[in-house]
Amino acid sequence: MNPVRIGTLLRQEIISGAWSFFFIFALVVPIVLTLVVNLLFGTLLSGKPKLGIADAGRSQIAALAGELDSLRLRAYPDADALLRAVEAGAVDLGLILPEGFDASLAAGEATEVTAYLWGQSLLQNRALLGTTLVQLLRQVAGQTSPLEVVTTVLGDGTVVPWRDRLLPFIVLITILIGGVMVPASSLVTEKQKGTLRALTITPTTLGEVLIAKGLTGALLATATGVMILALNQAFGSRPLLLLVVLALGSIMAATFGILLGALVKDVNTLLATIKGIGLFLYAPAIFYLFPTLPQWIGRLFPTYYLVAPVVEISEGGGWAEVAPELLILLGLLAALLVVTAMVVRRISHYGADLNMMPAAA
Amino acid sequence: MNWGVIGTLVAKDISLYFKNRFFALITVLALVGYTVMFFVMPASVNETVEIGIYAPNLPVGILDRLAGDGVNFVAAPSREALEATILGGDQPVGLVLEAGTVARLVAGQQGRIEVLFATALPEDFRDLYTTVLGELGFLLSGRPLAVEIDEQVLGPDLAGQQIPPRQRLLPMLAVFILMMETMGLASLISTEVEEGTLQALLVTPMSMRELFVGKGLTGVTLAFVQVVLLMAVTGGLARQPLLVLVALLLGAMLVTGVGFLMASVGKDLLSVMSWGVLALLVLIIPSIGILLPGVVSGWVRAIPSHYLVDTVHRVANFGAGWGDVGVNLLALLAFSAAFLWLGGAVLRRRFA
Repeated sequence: MNPVRIGTLLRQEIISGAWSFFFIFALVVPIVLTLVVNLLFGTLLSGKPKLGIADAGRSQIAALAGELDSLRLRAYPDADALLRAVEAGAVDLGLILPEGFDASLAAGEATEVTAYLWGQSLLQNRALLGTTLVQLLRQVAGQTSPLEVVTTVLGDGTVVPWRDRLLPFIVLITILIGGVMVPASSLVTEKQKGTLRALTITPTTLGEVLIAKGLTGALLATATGVMILALNQAFGSRPLLLLVVLALGSIMAATFGILLGALVKDVNTLLATIKGIGLFLYAPAIFYLFPTLPQWIGRLFPTYYLVAPVVEISEGGGWAEVAPELLILLGLLAALLVVTAMVVRRISHYGADLNMMPAAA
Repeated sequence: MNWGVIGTLVAKDISLYFKNRFFALITVLALVGYTVMFFVMPASVNETVEIGIYAPNLPVGILDRLAGDGVNFVAAPSREALEATILGGDQPVGLVLEAGTVARLVAGQQGRIEVLFATALPEDFRDLYTTVLGELGFLLSGRPLAVEIDEQVLGPDLAGQQIPPRQRLLPMLAVFILMMETMGLASLISTEVEEGTLQALLVTPMSMRELFVGKGLTGVTLAFVQVVLLMAVTGGLARQPLLVLVALLLGAMLVTGVGFLMASVGKDLLSVMSWGVLALLVLIIPSIGILLPGVVSGWVRAIPSHYLVDTVHRVANFGAGWGDVGVNLLALLAFSAAFLWLGGAVLRRRFA
């Protein structure tokens, strides 16, 4: 095992692989997913009723509505834009406020206002927005509430927002695409093109090639993992521990990628295999998505021990909290390394390189 | 055009496709997976919120004036019972209105109410309920508002009969199935190019035109059969089945043309896959607009798949007929013909 040769191979893998489809895919997909999740679950799918206002004057209604966290307010330049937004479902309720509306209200004059409702708006949104609107009108009219409202929160449970529930899924995707797909596809492509055979004719050994490919996947998965956690502001308070856990998870994924690359004969089969075992790989994320499901089932899947420590640390956990999962992850990694080494040795025995493996014969 | 030769080619391609156990298994698994995804999604929409209330001596009719169609008040016999229902998750919000408070409010004096929230109710929603329940004070004290609010509903009023999330997801699943098969077709062509079998076929009496008609028929058949199976199992053919089938057939033709284009610009299988993902991302956008109304604007009409998903959505969920979606079908036909012609022409030119 020559570290200099591994370093050269690693550099070559990164330089030439950086333009491959899987390499770009491994970088782009997690970023796109993060953006989409933040866009959808940060605002769009929050479930908050949406109020649209086209204000011809400078009504206080819009300002007061904007202070409410529980509804989403959108301002429109004119009535036409507002009506189009209501028809398209961009807002549940649209309100056109004429000039001098506030003054009429404050003067106690009989005033009429039309509320445009989107036909597909939920009844609860219509009711809540309608009553909220009345309250806002009363405030502008100068009516002070005869009620003092005191709020109490019962119970000590916490609600996990969808954005947080999806984080394990994004982390898993990030680590698995970079860690598994990149080394596996690189290995399979070299097998198909025959360059692996050419490489092993030189003093470079098969082991060195595989380590370089595995390291490429592990480094890429760790780097994208760090980037994704940073983008999601989920780095927690122990970044070093998180980095160690991410690196271990990425090494495990890369080892699996090498094993997969060694066993399958072409890219078609590789893609089909990954599609086939996708549910198995991503299963733990499903249990994070739905906290009401029995969570112990998620622990039956090996990738749980890859993602659980990351999530725990990003939520503020430390060594003590993640130690059990980390130990199991190390055990799984050791077992996977042994299996991969055995498979590669067996394949090498058949024909000095991976082209002669039994599955491809 | 020798249809016997084309038929043989289609049969050969489909047979090859399913002889590969992986592809056969994955095709079935994907179909089952999408179907399961459909049935896992909620089949109905709960449009109302329930608010628990403990309010002895509350005047009759007050709650009805505040409630409306979307909010139900559920009376509790005691404060303890109200807390139990909130902690049990039956209601997210509870209102405690003591007897003395009601009397003070009715007499025009200041009062105090307590609103109980379940922890499951996100913090963002709490001020909305606080505002809504604050209106109770005005109702009890009999203070009118000199504003008349006239409500007008725009578009079909679905109050009480909302479209369930699974029905909104259906057009997206249809596009997914179609595009997956397109990638399969493009991969098939790309593999034939890589292995040289496409050139070998052209040595036979088969013409270039027959070859691509055969490939096109293979793509359309694979995509159409799968998407029809999905729609049949999920009940998507319950309304206007012939109309939906025509839309799906045109959709299968459209994506086959896209598949040809992908195969013609891709140098190898991986390149085809990357173009396929890009095409999928673009074609999926219109279905996002159905899943999340109001997210996409008018420019979505420039994407050909809009005319497929809009047709399926309107027919399956609103009972639209031929006259309602006729323009959509014509646009889809035009796009399908254009893409098939363009894809076929580019592909023929590449291998001529």
